[in-house]
Amino acid sequence: MNTAHTAARVVDAVKVYGSGDTEVRALDGVTVGFPAGRFTAIMGPSGSGKSTLMHCAAGLDALTSGSAAIGGTELSSLDDRRLTVLRRDRVGFVFQAFNLLPTLTVAENITLPLDLAGARADAEWIDALVDVVGLRDRLHHRPSELSGGQQQRVAVARAFASRPDVVFADEPTGNLDSRSGAEVLGLLARAVRRMDRTVVMVTHDPVAAAHADEVVFLADGRLVDRMPEPTAERVLDRMKALDGPRAEADIPEHHTQGVPS
Amino acid sequence: MSSASATARISLTSLRAHKRRFAGTFAAVLLGVAFLTGTLVMGDTLRTSFDSMFAGATSGTDAVVRSADTITTPGQSQGVRGPVDADLATRVAQVPGVAAAEADIQGPGQLVGADGEPIGGQGPPTLAGNWIKDTRLNPYRLAEGRAPERGGEVVVNRGAAATGGLTIGDSTVLRTPDPVRVTIVGLATFGGADGMAQTTFTGMTRADAEKYLTPQPGEAASIQVRAAPGTGQQELVDALTPVLPKGVEAITGEAATTENTDMISGQFLDLFTTFLLVFSGVALLVATFSIHNTFAIVVAQRTRENALLRALGAARGQVVGAALAEAAVVAVVASAAGLLGGIGVAAGLQALFPAIGFPFPEGELVISALSLGLPLAVGIVVCLGSALLPAVRAGRTAPLAALRETAVDQSGTARGRTVAGLALALIALGTTLAGVLVTPSIWLAGTGAVLALAAFVVLGPAASTAVLRVLTRPLARTRGVPGGLAGRNALRSPRRTAATASALMIGVAVVALFTVFGASLKATMNQTVDRSFAGDVAISAPSFGAGGSGLSPELAGKVAELPEVESAVGLGRGVAEVDGAGRQLTVTDPVALARGLDLGSVRGDLAALGTDGLALSAPEAERRGLALGDRTRLAFTDGTQESFTVRAVYAQPELAGDYVLTREAWAPHRGQDSDSVVAVTFKDGVDTASGEAAVEETAAAYGNPEVQTREEYAQSSAGGIDMMLTLVYAMLALAVLIALLGIANTLTLAVHERTRELGLLRAVGQTRAQLRAMVRWESVLVAAFGTAGGLALGGFLGWVLVQASQGTGDSDFAFAVPPAQLAVVALVGLAAGALAGWRPARRAARLDVLRAIATE
Repeated sequence: MNTAHTAARVVDAVKVYGSGDTEVRALDGVTVGFPAGRFTAIMGPSGSGKSTLMHCAAGLDALTSGSAAIGGTELSSLDDRRLTVLRRDRVGFVFQAFNLLPTLTVAENITLPLDLAGARADAEWIDALVDVVGLRDRLHHRPSELSGGQQQRVAVARAFASRPDVVFADEPTGNLDSRSGAEVLGLLARAVRRMDRTVVMVTHDPVAAAHADEVVFLADGRLVDRMPEPTAERVLDRMKALDGPRAEADIPEHHTQGVPS
Repeated sequence: MSSASATARISLTSLRAHKRRFAGTFAAVLLGVAFLTGTLVMGDTLRTSFDSMFAGATSGTDAVVRSADTITTPGQSQGVRGPVDADLATRVAQVPGVAAAEADIQGPGQLVGADGEPIGGQGPPTLAGNWIKDTRLNPYRLAEGRAPERGGEVVVNRGAAATGGLTIGDSTVLRTPDPVRVTIVGLATFGGADGMAQTTFTGMTRADAEKYLTPQPGEAASIQVRAAPGTGQQELVDALTPVLPKGVEAITGEAATTENTDMISGQFLDLFTTFLLVFSGVALLVATFSIHNTFAIVVAQRTRENALLRALGAARGQVVGAALAEAAVVAVVASAAGLLGGIGVAAGLQALFPAIGFPFPEGELVISALSLGLPLAVGIVVCLGSALLPAVRAGRTAPLAALRETAVDQSGTARGRTVAGLALALIALGTTLAGVLVTPSIWLAGTGAVLALAAFVVLGPAASTAVLRVLTRPLARTRGVPGGLAGRNALRSPRRTAATASALMIGVAVVALFTVFGASLKATMNQTVDRSFAGDVAISAPSFGAGGSGLSPELAGKVAELPEVESAVGLGRGVAEVDGAGRQLTVTDPVALARGLDLGSVRGDLAALGTDGLALSAPEAERRGLALGDRTRLAFTDGTQESFTVRAVYAQPELAGDYVLTREAWAPHRGQDSDSVVAVTFKDGVDTASGEAAVEETAAAYGNPEVQTREEYAQSSAGGIDMMLTLVYAMLALAVLIALLGIANTLTLAVHERTRELGLLRAVGQTRAQLRAMVRWESVLVAAFGTAGGLALGGFLGWVLVQASQGTGDSDFAFAVPPAQLAVVALVGLAAGALAGWRPARRAARLDVLRAIATE
């Protein structure tokens, strides 16, 4: 895999929480690249390290050992300020909930990373984004006046506003009903295919993962499989196999927050 | 587990879990209580020390014989008492039961220090008297050197000598006010201390005292009497009374001591203590706002917790009880710490005062039950009272609230509150204006002022929304996203923002009130000098209270002889009783007076006053219904009454006073002559600088009083105001500090409840510096709102105070708003806001992004 075509990647990534008896190896030597212009889903059972992988790859958390890079930039060499600026300019985020600042309007939330940078927003691009997410008539509303699905669509627009190298989405549909969830996933997929963006999504939902171009599977902090052109059934089967006897209890989990997960 | 112990356990665990939230409350209660305790303990200690000092110093005096007539003029703490015949001492000494009797001759006497500057004169009296040879009758004890024996030899109290850099063998000048050359031969102590508080005393031979301190020899202030062994004080007084002439009385030594200590305790100390108590009151009021706010926020943040308790079966009363128990623990612990702090402050001041030249009498700290009980009670009441409403609100939490999303205080601006606030503001304005303009009444105006304060507090939320919207716009333009977000955050909960700012508002309002009032006083003095002072320079002996000795009456004559000088007139002061009330008299040459001062239009003839006429100010003439040619009776301290004819009425009493008498008319009744000011007019063509130099040369021989141009004269009259303002600012610093702690605390709580938002901002690219700036700007905005409100309220109250003062005097009281000083107050308020935001900003910036976005 060529670096020029890899939007983000981690090599020999190890992340250890705690020490001694309470030591937990959330990532145990993961090497994975997320190709540019593709929609990749990270799946795995609870505690497999998928959220940790995303946090470390996105520069929200630091690896214990190994390296992480966005584009060609090695993250471990950056101090907090540079890391923040990198997130602001080259990474987009969609979280499970609480994606928007309640004091800002929809329009202001969308351009927040650009405004933080003091950069002038590309009006055409933002305009196009607003149309894609279908929120033109809500631009001057506050987040509290929007439904959950609408709020996540604003978050998607915000994530793409600065044309980042890569957008990380952490259970973006975890709090939504299936129709709103499908809408948000459709948006992410369309951004990748029509606008040539890159998306990395952490999810536990096989249906959500099926929207991706490829699924990578994590278990016990290790990369265990990759699946191109996934379908919901195949993903579900793979997950069942991964989980073994525990699978039935774990698959419909609704909450993968918390550290480590 | 009983329900009461469950309540207690809940509040204790919650206190332990949220120590930081209560740090601000704790500090506010502690500081307020410490201030109050310190004031009370220091007041008691000073009072006790002075009492024992006086008792020790005058224990040898069993009776005092003195004139029964005393005249007290308005604004003076001590009446003017007539003299007694010094020879009376000889007669008293022969009364059976008397062991010794000595005349006590006293007058003003201000020493000039080694640096040529007068010692003291800024408040406490500067006295001179005869050195009483009977050591038990003399309150002063010789500490070093010897008693004065020859003319020109003096003993001075050790404190004064130290202040002026004088030692035994030094020669200096004593202003009585005529300059007397004296040589120091001894140093004295008073009741074991270096002096009677800050009073300076110079003891001279009896011959010198009679020569320099009294208008004519043979007059004494009093006769000090010591009883023979076996004669009690009252017995002695009873024996003395029959032999005393009419108008002379005898009182016991104990009574005299009590009078003296009352004078110091009652006048100086009570004023001092009241002054400090007022400011600890302001500090505690500010604290009340801060504390209330903290509890309100904590209760709002804990809605889910309380709802869960209610859902699990906690009664409403138990939830209220838990919240109050929490407040009670904070109140008791903080108040107790405040008590210790206050006692520590008093002990520290006791150690510090002597180092800065203020003789804090030695002795144990006096800690009365009141100085322990009152601050403790006040601290607990303030804290519990502030927590009451939030606690009740906590009890009203619906069990269902546990199921809702994170509950944050999202209170908007209630319309009802705004309407009530506007109504209150109108009532306040109406009451104040009525009290100021329609029927001048200090009570109406005062009520209006309190209502105005209440209106400001009630209108706070609505006003904060309006003001912050205006302030946010330029901030967002110049400071980008952090600035804009800071403004939005401050706008989120108008009630909270307003409550936080209210504490600062009160502090700033009091500062602004005093600043405006002080500037107005100065402007008034400028205006007075401008309008009424017709001379080119003034010679004055600046003094406050009883201090200073005034100017020698010879000085005006000597200055008038200078070739540069057209005229010089000295203004002496006298007192007399008119219609049973004491009045200040101006004793001068009326014709020269009209040249040195602008008296306004004069009816009648100032040259024709003679020895049985007087000139009256127009306002006083109107008040007393007197016209030209009418007669009025004046009673003097020597017990005589005389009838005077009104021969002139002048319009402007500002510098000249209400009554003008000639020196000849005053001479029979006078005490020691002194002028308070000499107004000098130069001849045409003499420039001020050379004229001033000539006058200074002449004045140098009279103890070097200050020669001032018109501007300097006006400003020096205002010097005391600056001193007062400095003191007031120092006292208010504590209130402002408490307000800042309140802002910092509110911000810390806000940062805590916005953890997820801050995490999101950091994740999408807000740098730490931007985040810090955001929190700091929010702090500055809240402070700006509080400062603006404080300036507006303080300015208004200052205007009210000026107008109310206007009603009490004859002269026009000028209203002045000092832009520079108020700008400084505003800047200090903003800087303080930035400072208050510093710590919460740092805490916010240290948030771990991952934990912030993962927080439930």
